Amino acid sequence: MFFRNLTFFRFPTSLAKTLDDLDARLEECRLKPVGPSELMSRGFIPPMGRDAELMSHRIGDAIWVTLGGEDRLLPSAVVNDQLGRKLAEIEEKEGRRLGGRARKRLKEDVVMELLPRAFVRPVRCSATLDLEHGFIAVDTSSRKTAENLVSELRHALGSFPALPLNAETSVRALMTGWLAGEPLPGGLTLGDECELKDPVDGGGVVRCSRHELQAEEIRRHLEAGKQATRLALVLDDHVGFVLGEDLVVRKLKFLDGAVDQLEGTETDGVHAELDARYALMAGELKRLFAVLDGALKFSAADA
Amino acid sequence: MLPTPEIRPLALADGREVPVRWVRDRRARRLRLIVSDKGARLTLPLVASVRGAEAFLHEHRDWLAAQLARQRHDDAPRFGRDWTGPLPLRGQDVPLQWCEGRFARASLGEHGIEVQLPAQADDARARAALREFYLQQARADLGAWLPRYLPGLPRTPMALRIRPLSSLWGSLSPSDAVSLDLALVLGRPAAFEYVLVHELCHLVHADHSRRFWREVEAHWPGWREEREYLRGEGLALKSTLARLTR
Repeated sequence: MFFRNLTFFRFPTSLAKTLDDLDARLEECRLKPVGPSELMSRGFIPPMGRDAELMSHRIGDAIWVTLGGEDRLLPSAVVNDQLGRKLAEIEEKEGRRLGGRARKRLKEDVVMELLPRAFVRPVRCSATLDLEHGFIAVDTSSRKTAENLVSELRHALGSFPALPLNAETSVRALMTGWLAGEPLPGGLTLGDECELKDPVDGGGVVRCSRHELQAEEIRRHLEAGKQATRLALVLDDHVGFVLGEDLVVRKLKFLDGAVDQLEGTETDGVHAELDARYALMAGELKRLFAVLDGALKFSAADA
Repeated sequence: MLPTPEIRPLALADGREVPVRWVRDRRARRLRLIVSDKGARLTLPLVASVRGAEAFLHEHRDWLAAQLARQRHDDAPRFGRDWTGPLPLRGQDVPLQWCEGRFARASLGEHGIEVQLPAQADDARARAALREFYLQQARADLGAWLPRYLPGLPRTPMALRIRPLSSLWGSLSPSDAVSLDLALVLGRPAAFEYVLVHELCHLVHADHSRRFWREVEAHWPGWREEREYLRGEGLALKSTLARLTR
């Protein structure tokens, strides 16, 4: 269940007071199965699995919520093929080509006819709220998916003033500096992956993975004016991730040391293990956010 | 029908002729003359008469001449290693300092804007570093202003994008993403903040109705001055940004 990617939003820390009836609110917006003539449905589901009762899982000031969904898979090629057949049939029978509007209506009919037969694909996306720092981290690197979860949460809560994360320093310039040998903030060390971009229009891109970052060839790229747009970092020797200039954290990975701690905890049942894993992750995210905040100076959402 | 551009010369009061791009656009409701870095453009509704448009141009030719005069010329120098003068930031001239370094970066130091550039990097990289610098300054301003306006809004913006825009100062997309012109950070901060307030007020009313302007007035009583400032200085800001960062 560890999150793989993190897209952050910030909210005022004063919001914590309004979250007491979170479970009831989420229950009202629980996922409903997708109807036979619907393309998709979205709603909240219990994060601890189908059998769990609570719609959110809270440890201290960290809350875990999960947005579930069902998408109907209806490839456009299938629709177009079916539409083509029907059009040919009508042309044959009536001896005339259908106009634009009639075609559109026919296409809608075809979609309606095919939808009940389409496969349903379940999707889920989790997020964790940190009430101390006032951030929500969505487990996705897709801005759209993250925005979708936040707007569903807003819909459920009535009001949820979340802002996309804003850094008041230049992330690009900072990461380039770290790569060029400037001191990293306490707790962070360089990983083994980076993306360098030539900042001119249509400039070249260099991607390195499993590569020593303090090597001569990388320094040369920086001297030619390239800038770091993604950089792999390691926090406290046990959390690896790739920070992008879009402030999305990708490839989040708990390295050996972190998971070892977990092995020591009790292993009775899935629930207890998920609980322990979430507790560990929420703690590490709190630390990660604090370290990044110190370096990148995130704007607060409180006035 | 797609807009079909056509270039027609317009005689100014001093006898000079300037090219005006005539564009017929079916979405246009009235005659509209704008000046951007691409020159003058007249937008016409499909039904507008040529004579009416010519009269309209004649009526506004002095305004057009003034706008064109304000625009810096294309041969004005672009930012590069030989640039020594101050740089505009938040409506002021800030001294510039060059230094050699292992990578390209521009930052705000004690003595003004410091641009660090490795020996191999050329002027285009210097302009890119400066663009990144302005972007960071604009983000810092937004971060400071935004929380103040959030409590009165029905929703929060889903994304904040800052980039050079050609004719607008800002916009709000249907998915609640606010776009702002990077050139705003060169001008006075009050104008920048007004544009932000203007776009945020579109979250309340997605139009330019009276209700909308009342909303703007409530948050930013001096909006008329800032609008006048942008109408007067705006083009110069946009073209300065282009010379410094493009």
